[in-house]
Amino acid sequence: MLKVSNITKSFESITAVNNISFEVRKGEIFGLLGENGAGKTTTLRMLATMLKPTSGTAELCGYDVINEPEKVRSHIGILFGGETGLYDRLTAAENIAYFGELNDMSKSEIKERISQLTRIFDMDEYINKKAGKFSKGMKQKVAFARSIVHNPDIMLFDEPTSGLDVTAILEVHKFILDCRQQNKTIVLSSHIMSEVEKLCDRIGIIHKGVLVASGTIEELKKTYGKDSLEEVFIELVGDRNEI
Amino acid sequence: MKFRHVWIVFRKEIKDLLRDKKTIISSFLVPMILIPVIFLFVGGGAQKMEKDISENITIALSQNSNTADIRKIVEDGIIKHNTNIKLINVDNPIDAVKQEKVRLVLEFDADYAQKLKNDKPFTVKIYYDKSKNKSDGAVSILTDAINQYNQQIVGQRLTALGLSPDILQPAKVEETNVAEPGKSGNPTLVMILPMMLGLLVTIGGIAAATDIVAGEKERNTFEPLLTTKPSRLSILTGKYLTVTLFSFISVISTGIGYVIGYMINPNSLTMGASDGIGGFSLPLVATILVFITTILMGMTFSAVQIAISTFARSFREAQTYLSFLIFVALIPGYATMFMQPGDVQTYMYAVPILNTISAFKMVLGGNINYLNLVIALATSVIYVILSIMFAASLFKKEKVLFRS
Repeated sequence: MLKVSNITKSFESITAVNNISFEVRKGEIFGLLGENGAGKTTTLRMLATMLKPTSGTAELCGYDVINEPEKVRSHIGILFGGETGLYDRLTAAENIAYFGELNDMSKSEIKERISQLTRIFDMDEYINKKAGKFSKGMKQKVAFARSIVHNPDIMLFDEPTSGLDVTAILEVHKFILDCRQQNKTIVLSSHIMSEVEKLCDRIGIIHKGVLVASGTIEELKKTYGKDSLEEVFIELVGDRNEI
Repeated sequence: MKFRHVWIVFRKEIKDLLRDKKTIISSFLVPMILIPVIFLFVGGGAQKMEKDISENITIALSQNSNTADIRKIVEDGIIKHNTNIKLINVDNPIDAVKQEKVRLVLEFDADYAQKLKNDKPFTVKIYYDKSKNKSDGAVSILTDAINQYNQQIVGQRLTALGLSPDILQPAKVEETNVAEPGKSGNPTLVMILPMMLGLLVTIGGIAAATDIVAGEKERNTFEPLLTTKPSRLSILTGKYLTVTLFSFISVISTGIGYVIGYMINPNSLTMGASDGIGGFSLPLVATILVFITTILMGMTFSAVQIAISTFARSFREAQTYLSFLIFVALIPGYATMFMQPGDVQTYMYAVPILNTISAFKMVLGGNINYLNLVIALATSVIYVILSIMFAASLFKKEKVLFRS
């Protein structure tokens, strides 16, 4: 479903992502675990075709990110962490509908999908109100709905819980697990160990642009002879930081 | 690029901007209300100033000259036919000028009577305050009055000698305007309108351009937008068309403002300098050509605004960069403001902004050179293409798009 092959991204003299390869199967959550600046966001941006790889490539749903970016984009949904980016002067429904339209959905499909998503995320009270006055939680739900309005096969989550309170974090986790329930392929970038342990089927540890290890948590613990993912991470990243 | 995607982006941007009070105020209300108000104030002020200068001119005589004989010369000889000039008495004439109690003070030579009797010239000194418009403006009015007095005395002297005053005027001047009715143009409009138009077209889309790219980056909606199906070119085109539309709406709003101003006071458009805008007859083809050139200039600057907004990291940064465009428009506007259509050089029809201003000046001036109009039009097309290519190249550059 998602195959990354020797992907590299350089910005002038800096190599942000260096020769990374991994695969994610349908219905699987793959976590990219790394410190800030490790190359997680750059990797996700390449998968979302926002950045063009310097070398290597990736295939999503059988479409190449370099040669078929539009087809790739029509099969992905993306949720960024931090401040939820909504159009404040549009209503929640208009925000969601805009992304549906941009993904070539018909008006009737959009209408039906918005009522479905309104039910799922319990947005009845504010679906036709302007997003500018929403609470953080309300905005988050609209952002969830917007990211899946076109029912994408692949979901990309870039540090989705960054800056959120506990309740909001739990909402995000629930949303990610619901996506897996719907058999979506998921890539989640995070620097929070517990989050990755809780949600991911497999993880890749990324450090200074290099994928230093990947596998299930159990496999990693076994390979490196450690009792916890934290210890594995310190073993891999700590050592390399010293270098 | 897909037209459907362009239309979706365009429609959404229009809806979004129309709900933004800032954009509505700066694009519609300010030009529609504030500009005519400014014109009315400036025009009204200029008219009032002109009226104040030419009417109710008070003058006084210096202490040495304040005699019954001199008063008689002034009242019966100099200002008799100028009912707008009034001779008054003041205690301290020079201070009275400074305190604006009188506009001027006249001082006659002490031996003026002797000189006058002997047909010799005598001097009338005019004391005035150059720092005060009314005082400064009255000098020429009084000089004219004294000249009339001179002619009267010269006439009397020549008649006394048995000569006709006509011998002093071998050639008479007679002016005849050969321009077709309505083709004389209006010098004040030729001066003001092209500059105003250049400025408005250049900056009209700034509010929209700032909001829909730099603003979108700041509100974190830009990255999700880039992950949707449309190509970057479709997104850019939708946004570009929005800025272009807002730029023209801003110009149209200003036009409405002008009409409102004209309806309130026809002289407001010409800052009170002439009699309104009556008597214009613009050739249709030339008007269409200059109209297209203006649209092309608007399209060029919309692309420039989008490019600058794309380059900016934040809303505030975009506002700062885009505010410099005002100077870009003002410099050629002011540089050519006092230029009459005949003074415009051919190369000016090829320079950005100047080409539109020059073409507009020419059409308003009434003497159309179609070759120059075509040069302005052709170069404008080139600038539109170049500016759109520039904006598109920036919109595709990862380094620019994800600058932080």
